[in-house]
Amino acid sequence: MAAKAGAAPATYSPSPTTYKKNRPPIFTDVDWVRPDGRDFHQCRPAFLRTGAVNAASGSAYAEFGNTKVIVSIFGPRESKKAMLYSDTGRLNCNVTYTTFATPVRGQASDNKEISSQLHKSLEGAIMLDTFPKTTVDVFALVLESGGCDLPVVISCASLALADAGIMMYDLVAAVSVSCLGKNLVIDPVSEEENYQDGSLMITCLPSRNEVTQLTITGEWSSPKIHEAMELCLDACSKLGKIMRSCLKESASTSQG
Amino acid sequence: MGGSANGATDLSSEMEVDAFRRLFPLRFHERHLLESVRPDARSLGKARETSLALGAVASADGSALAKIGCTTMLAAIKMEVMTPAKETPDEGCVAIDFHMPPICSPIVRPGRPAEAAPVVSKQLSDTIISSGMIDLKELSLVSGKAAWMAYLDIYCLDADGSLFDAALLAAAAAFSHLQIPVVSLNDDGRIVVVSKEKEGEKPKNKPVNEEKRKLKLRSIPFALTCILHKNYILADPTAEEESIMETLITIVLDSSCQLVSLYKPGGPALAYESVVQDCIALSRQRVKELQKILNEAILDMEVD
Amino acid sequence: MEVDRADGRTPNQRRPVVCTRGILHRAHGSASWAQGDTKVIAAVYGPKSGTRKNENPEKACIEVIWKPKTGQSGKPEREYEMVMKKTLQSICLLNVHPNTTTSIIIQVVNDDGALLPCAINAACAALVDAGTPLKHLAVAVCCCMSENGQILLDPSKIEEQKVKAFVYLVFPNSIASVLPEGSLRPGGEVTELGILTSVTHGVMAVDDYFSCLKLGRPAAAELSDFLRNSLKLKAGSDPSKAG
Repeated sequence: MAAKAGAAPATYSPSPTTYKKNRPPIFTDVDWVRPDGRDFHQCRPAFLRTGAVNAASGSAYAEFGNTKVIVSIFGPRESKKAMLYSDTGRLNCNVTYTTFATPVRGQASDNKEISSQLHKSLEGAIMLDTFPKTTVDVFALVLESGGCDLPVVISCASLALADAGIMMYDLVAAVSVSCLGKNLVIDPVSEEENYQDGSLMITCLPSRNEVTQLTITGEWSSPKIHEAMELCLDACSKLGKIMRSCLKESASTSQG
Repeated sequence: MGGSANGATDLSSEMEVDAFRRLFPLRFHERHLLESVRPDARSLGKARETSLALGAVASADGSALAKIGCTTMLAAIKMEVMTPAKETPDEGCVAIDFHMPPICSPIVRPGRPAEAAPVVSKQLSDTIISSGMIDLKELSLVSGKAAWMAYLDIYCLDADGSLFDAALLAAAAAFSHLQIPVVSLNDDGRIVVVSKEKEGEKPKNKPVNEEKRKLKLRSIPFALTCILHKNYILADPTAEEESIMETLITIVLDSSCQLVSLYKPGGPALAYESVVQDCIALSRQRVKELQKILNEAILDMEVD
Repeated sequence: MEVDRADGRTPNQRRPVVCTRGILHRAHGSASWAQGDTKVIAAVYGPKSGTRKNENPEKACIEVIWKPKTGQSGKPEREYEMVMKKTLQSICLLNVHPNTTTSIIIQVVNDDGALLPCAINAACAALVDAGTPLKHLAVAVCCCMSENGQILLDPSKIEEQKVKAFVYLVFPNSIASVLPEGSLRPGGEVTELGILTSVTHGVMAVDDYFSCLKLGRPAAAELSDFLRNSLKLKAGSDPSKAG
């Protein structure tokens, strides 16, 4: 959709970030300051709200620093006609980016990959047998991409599912850690993600202490993985509490 | 009509209001219209509460979030550089696109774009370009060599009727918020942004557009959609009203109350001259309201 | 008073209209409509069974497919399709064939201004040719505002590009009815004065719009008589076509 140049003349962005490929020396030192001035093990402040989209059965908006996403839930509703009969419900996930999500217009990453990852991390938490024969649609739109898009989408989606009243075993909290040289940084921004040596993402059910998805990419040593997992799980349980309080808040305002 | 409405009251007394609304939507609404009120407690000619926030997208050069009732639109402008066309060496260009992502409505599914999206997109670009709001000459950088291409993308985040009105408001607000970056021509003949950190150093190349950071907007267009149903005119319909009473008329007036567009695509009700006059009168009021909301939003941003 | 129109017409003079029905053998109904050098062919297929998703199956569904003269169809064609669909929906009796789809294919042969009105007229003639049940006919005209404030009827392509603003108007045709005078509408207003569809382009004063309406109505009435006559002719000469 974004790649459609059509008859428009070729254009380019005047911003200099487009041709900066080399890793800046700053990340190679042991002591450097993160672009937004956080500690290495400090997450960005999270802002969560349910009920962002009126037309949906349930929805949530999440803002982690510059990463902003909206997730809408539709259903449970009739499955596509081509689908065969199924005793359990189906989950259909789709993630799209706005054309202005990235610094250069229309350069968003592969949506299919992110959509399938979202599907994998949510499906373990949802009681699919509570809506047989039907489909729940989870649609996400990344308004602005500021790093850690997938974890934010996952956490936001589970909040939206709860808002829609879809039965789940627990909320799903997701956090990722980047490995930059000797350091582990939690909840990286896109600048850090671009120069990372490896990344690790955990999505888990905080109160049941279960992991629904674990993704490791890049170069890691076993002790580092161990350390990163500890970091993530700890952050997930904290994020879980924030999500829970957000739900409680919206429930109490809607009642009172 | 009176007969059917009376029949409706007999039924509705025995039925829950919600069920009645679903089973007999037209009767439900006509029963309200008889009392000159709408299901959301508005009077017929009143638009929903409207709000506007400028600068909603940090990564864009200009952006705005517009809400009319539940209908939410996010507009953002990104400026890129292009070589102007030979016929118009001193003019830039504006490319407008309207998107309806699957999050906005249960009707839109991924992979199958909404029918309405390309139509609204075309209407928006016709309206904005023909209204003369933007002087394309202001988008010129180096005559014949470089000019701005303003990519305006409007996303519908929540679709609850009157999409065009909200999208046009968001678009106009995004142009009001637009801050054109300072750029200079580098040695390769490319336009690059003059970065702030290096301001201390002596700039190697002189900026080409220091004076032209904001667009001067002339006569901003504002839209109001109305439903025509029997003898009633309903301003600013919700999605439910649009689906039940099908005759829509959209009037776009600019700040000096010139007619920019009068769009009525068919529908079972005919627009008589008196009805058109009434709709234009409603639009005139709405233009004043919207102009005030936009001015306030611009003031709010300047204070911050 | 006289304005220089490139083809020597007076401001409120239409171009000659030619309408031919039944030009395609495989379509259920077809017509070509030409206004000067603008020419459009319309073909009607259907009613076919079933409606598309998101359409109301309790009514007949009208589908319009616009084929441009060259190239692929893009946003302008989508808009034309939407306007035509809504317009034709409001003149068809949709309750007669519920859960069916009638497709109308519009092929642009040549565009020399007033393209959309020409297509609407062609589609209307084709619907009659196909025997689709209609409430009444629709007639479409185009008016434009020149720079010096003069209103021109039925502009050519060059005029359309030069003028400040133009208006496409669609009116229901004047009904030659057996009903007594005044019984057509309880409000006392005559149906043929109501606007079925209006699409405008360019900035103009509100009063100019109403001037366009004033000029457009008699033109539409003329066209409506022409359309009725040409339909009568055909019906008289070839009664077997009715099915």
